[in-house]
Amino acid sequence: MPPVKIYQEDQIASPTMRVWLNFSANPFALAGLWTIAFLLLLTLFGPMIAPFPPEAQDPRALLLPPSWDPSGTVAHFLGTDDLGRDIFSRLLHGAHLTFGMALLIVVTALFTGFIIGSLSGMMRGLKSSILGHLLDALLSIPSLLMAILVVAVMGPGLENVFWAVGIALTPQFVRSIHQSVHEELQKEYVTAARLDGANSMQIFWYVIMPNVWEVVIIQTTLAISAAILDIAALGFLSLGAQAPSPEWGAMVAQGMDNLLTAPWAVTIPGLAILFSVLSINLVGDGLRSALAPIRN
Amino acid sequence: MFKYLLRRLNLFLATSLVMVGVLFYATGLFPVDRTHALTGIHTPTASQLVQIEQDYKLDKNQAWQFIAYLQQRLSGNLGISVTSHQEVAEELSAVLPASFELAVMAAIIAICFGVPLGVLASQSQHKLTQNTIMAITLTGYSVPVFWLGLYLSLWFGVDLGWLPISGQINLLYEIKPVTGFMLVDTLLSESEYGMSAFKDALLHIILPATTLAVLPFTVVVRSTRSAMMNVMNQTFIRAAEARGMHTSTIILRHALPNALIPVLKHLGLMLGSFASYAIVVEMIFSWPGVGSWLVSGIYQRDYTVIQGGILAVALLIIFLSILIEVLHTVFNPLSRKDLYATS
Amino acid sequence: MSWLLVACGPQRLPSGLVYCSEGNPESFNPQLVTSGTTIDATSHQIYSRLVDYDTQSGKLVPALATSWAMSDDGLSYRFTLRENVQFQHSKRFTPTRPFNADDVLFSFKRIIDTHHPYHFVSRTGYPFFQSIGFSEQVKGIEKINDHEVVFYLTRKDASFLSNLATDFAVILSDEYAQQQLALGHPENVDHFAIGTGPFTLVQYAKNEYIRYHRHPDFWGEPAKIDMLVFDITPKSTVRLAKLIAGDCSVSALPKAGELPVIKQHEELNIESQPGLNVAFWAFNTQKPPLDDVRVRRALAYAVDKQNILRAVYQNTAIEATGVLPPASWAYANNKGLVDYNPQKARDLLKEAGIKNLSIDIWAMPVARAYNPNALKTAELIQSDLANVGVKVNIVSYDWSVFSQRLSRDDYDSVLIGWNADNSDPDNFFTPLLSCAAMQSNNNRSRWCNPEFDAILDSAREVSDQGERKVIYQQAEAFLAEQVPMLSLAHAKRVALTRSDIKDMQLTPFGGISFAHTSQAQEEAN
Repeated sequence: MPPVKIYQEDQIASPTMRVWLNFSANPFALAGLWTIAFLLLLTLFGPMIAPFPPEAQDPRALLLPPSWDPSGTVAHFLGTDDLGRDIFSRLLHGAHLTFGMALLIVVTALFTGFIIGSLSGMMRGLKSSILGHLLDALLSIPSLLMAILVVAVMGPGLENVFWAVGIALTPQFVRSIHQSVHEELQKEYVTAARLDGANSMQIFWYVIMPNVWEVVIIQTTLAISAAILDIAALGFLSLGAQAPSPEWGAMVAQGMDNLLTAPWAVTIPGLAILFSVLSINLVGDGLRSALAPIRN
Repeated sequence: MFKYLLRRLNLFLATSLVMVGVLFYATGLFPVDRTHALTGIHTPTASQLVQIEQDYKLDKNQAWQFIAYLQQRLSGNLGISVTSHQEVAEELSAVLPASFELAVMAAIIAICFGVPLGVLASQSQHKLTQNTIMAITLTGYSVPVFWLGLYLSLWFGVDLGWLPISGQINLLYEIKPVTGFMLVDTLLSESEYGMSAFKDALLHIILPATTLAVLPFTVVVRSTRSAMMNVMNQTFIRAAEARGMHTSTIILRHALPNALIPVLKHLGLMLGSFASYAIVVEMIFSWPGVGSWLVSGIYQRDYTVIQGGILAVALLIIFLSILIEVLHTVFNPLSRKDLYATS
Repeated sequence: MSWLLVACGPQRLPSGLVYCSEGNPESFNPQLVTSGTTIDATSHQIYSRLVDYDTQSGKLVPALATSWAMSDDGLSYRFTLRENVQFQHSKRFTPTRPFNADDVLFSFKRIIDTHHPYHFVSRTGYPFFQSIGFSEQVKGIEKINDHEVVFYLTRKDASFLSNLATDFAVILSDEYAQQQLALGHPENVDHFAIGTGPFTLVQYAKNEYIRYHRHPDFWGEPAKIDMLVFDITPKSTVRLAKLIAGDCSVSALPKAGELPVIKQHEELNIESQPGLNVAFWAFNTQKPPLDDVRVRRALAYAVDKQNILRAVYQNTAIEATGVLPPASWAYANNKGLVDYNPQKARDLLKEAGIKNLSIDIWAMPVARAYNPNALKTAELIQSDLANVGVKVNIVSYDWSVFSQRLSRDDYDSVLIGWNADNSDPDNFFTPLLSCAAMQSNNNRSRWCNPEFDAILDSAREVSDQGERKVIYQQAEAFLAEQVPMLSLAHAKRVALTRSDIKDMQLTPFGGISFAHTSQAQEEAN
């Protein structure tokens, strides 16, 4: 049943609406959001619109510059690499490896982190403190080192990147959720709810959770940009995606051989990474400032 | 205060223990013989095998093995590298100073440029200046570091030919390692080429240090800015303004010292990311530090090197982040009330 | 601040030469390896051999042996050794006596005598010597006096002296070896090398550099440069960038695609030499389904070599039609034996009853003169094979791991190659495809065919070049029939130098020598 409107002319925006209004007032954040939507579409449909398969080699078009260069052709819009593979197509195919993978990792890490974090956040005493130490230890391993450890155990490969980056990101979620749940738990309104006879489950879900979402959202945007950069860095160090994979970081690594003769094979995937991370960060920044008045 | 320090020390020890535990667990998962993973000896002789078994208590249960492992690692026995047959601890001590040198240089660059820019961004009345600075920092924050490094070396090294792009120094200079810090060693060197070697080393460090500085720089700018904006609204600043003090005095004497406290905390939280960045930067500029040593260790499946490197870097990060936390508490009167609080 | 420093004008550099090399040496004793990187870093810098090849004429010239004589039956060789040849000094070792017959005995007995205390010191074996059956060939070595030794052979062999002149047959110090054995560290002999060559090994930092000083008491003409540094730079782009920036004066193995960039820089020179080498794709003939000759042939038909020549070598190499390169006197163009023909490949696969074949290609991770980019080659082959319905999985590790794992026999196929060690055509067959080579793991095809060995034996017994050529062509035809491997290309051997570098020697058979190299003047940076 919709809420009864008492004052006809005065519409009071819901908190979510207010966040949106704040957010959309920032043109940069909005642009970021559009870019992300575009990237999502590419992740889903990129392989369908790509003119060539990612590994199709055209021996007659090696190291072709992008089409705006006088010696480039329109057929290969962004040029080709040293095996005659179309960079534009590889970029489209790589979107779901770099961007899609990052989303997948973050969703998984968020899910795991949410469960562990909220359980531990509701706990007190020794158990909580042991978990805290464990998390601190895991957090002190930089994601790249964690990836190196995972690669040492499982060997390089894109699947292992999933584990490496996932294991590195989960503790961050656990920690931030743990902390905010813990903080909220101390506040008076929770005590009030408890006095009203709410059980732990109810307190968690109806009382604390609405106040933790913001932390989760901000942490998620941070995590996505970190995940993209990590996946790409691992691809670049050829610890993650292996040649001939069109993962963007791996594309930079593959293009590096011809850095001096064909810089576009490095520039273009690099720009793709830069723009996706930038758009995520713009949205994250926008969200943070949009949420700020509510949080304070 | 003493109790607080004790608790932090306890935290350090507990976290480090967990860290060693993770590595110990990993040695069992490496796709090689346990003895190889622990010691780096590829095909041990019979007597070596007995020794290894004794050292690492391989005949006892996991708990004993873990204690033995801990003992070995604490006593500085990190095993030998399977590729170079050198002690891992020895190699580690040879590569650590180079990484420190790079990190310190990057930190200096980041702080020297970041703090003034952050203050400027917070004080500037122009929307344009503010936006430009924020755009720069956000881009710096988003740029993949390997790509940035490649481009800087392409521009400044190859196209312009201004700066060397790889290594610590021209290898023709034969510098005896005294401290391990190349910049210091060249100055200490008694060779007639000491001074030119110093200049050469300085030129070599510019590009990698600048690349590495990008991330901390953006963090410093952004956190300085928000901290400054926070501080400038505080009552004590208003009071100072009311007394008619000069703006620059207010900023330098009253606002900045207080604003730098949260900046310190922010930097502490980013240590892990810096380490990841440093590894990539060292790889790109062939900087002979822990990062490139570790990555070549993984390429060569040198399991003792991997363990030693991860252990060293992680312990360092644990130590530094706790140190920063302690410093933060010492400098920040507000958080000192936490000193005696429970959890 | 940097601008200020740049403006400070020329910097003073100590005299010396930096060579950007492509990788870490595996050892400092060339007897133990076959990799060109190790040879470059050791053979001609630290060591000398009994006899050498003259780089211009390709004839044998005296080195540590001043003269030699073969007995009438061809079964013994007597060498007269050079006197007053000094070994290098190092932190660990100060020689008390000059080079003599004991050193020769040590160097070779270590290889042939399984009871020698040093035989098993480095567990790598002696791949080159094993692959040519050296220990079966040499019955014994005798010291006549301090300056004369005699080698006794079991059978007549025209290639014996050539083998002694290869980069692998270096002379080590017996005195040093005994000293280290007494100290309990015999492996030091192979790590902290001592030899009689023009440069003394000073320091090796893995992944970073190898530093040599001039050996002041070198028996030949002393080196012109005081210091030699190998700057270990695996990435070809970085090597080139360093060369342009002046951080190194000579750079190894440029990628063919970089040559246009080099031509834009006047201060850079390209040194090249037709290579006695071959890049090939070896099939593990002991592993099903590659033990089926039809499958191997099908794979050979499926590969478009022209495409590889274009993309990997940028047309600087010659298509291989057999194992022998055109620079060899036994070469003949066998084009047409195995040509690109995907339809035939499909038919052969169908005939063999193979469906959904999936194989691993191991691609070496390092650049070699014969193949500047094996990974790229593997990717090209991957797409060629996809055309005929074969799925390819590319495998690569860092070189040290790669060569180690290759010694196990569980790979399907590998992209690798061979640099000849001497001008004898036998050097392309016996070390690569004979049964003896299988023991030394040099036979990457793991292919042992007595019939083929018999052909090679008969070729060694005759001495007439024309006759031998006929026999070697038979061998080539036999290989085209059996396809234990597919030869891909013969590449040029190329190095880049800055123009102030004079007289750098690319030896015809692989190694690089800086013994006579000089710099025009002190380089201003």
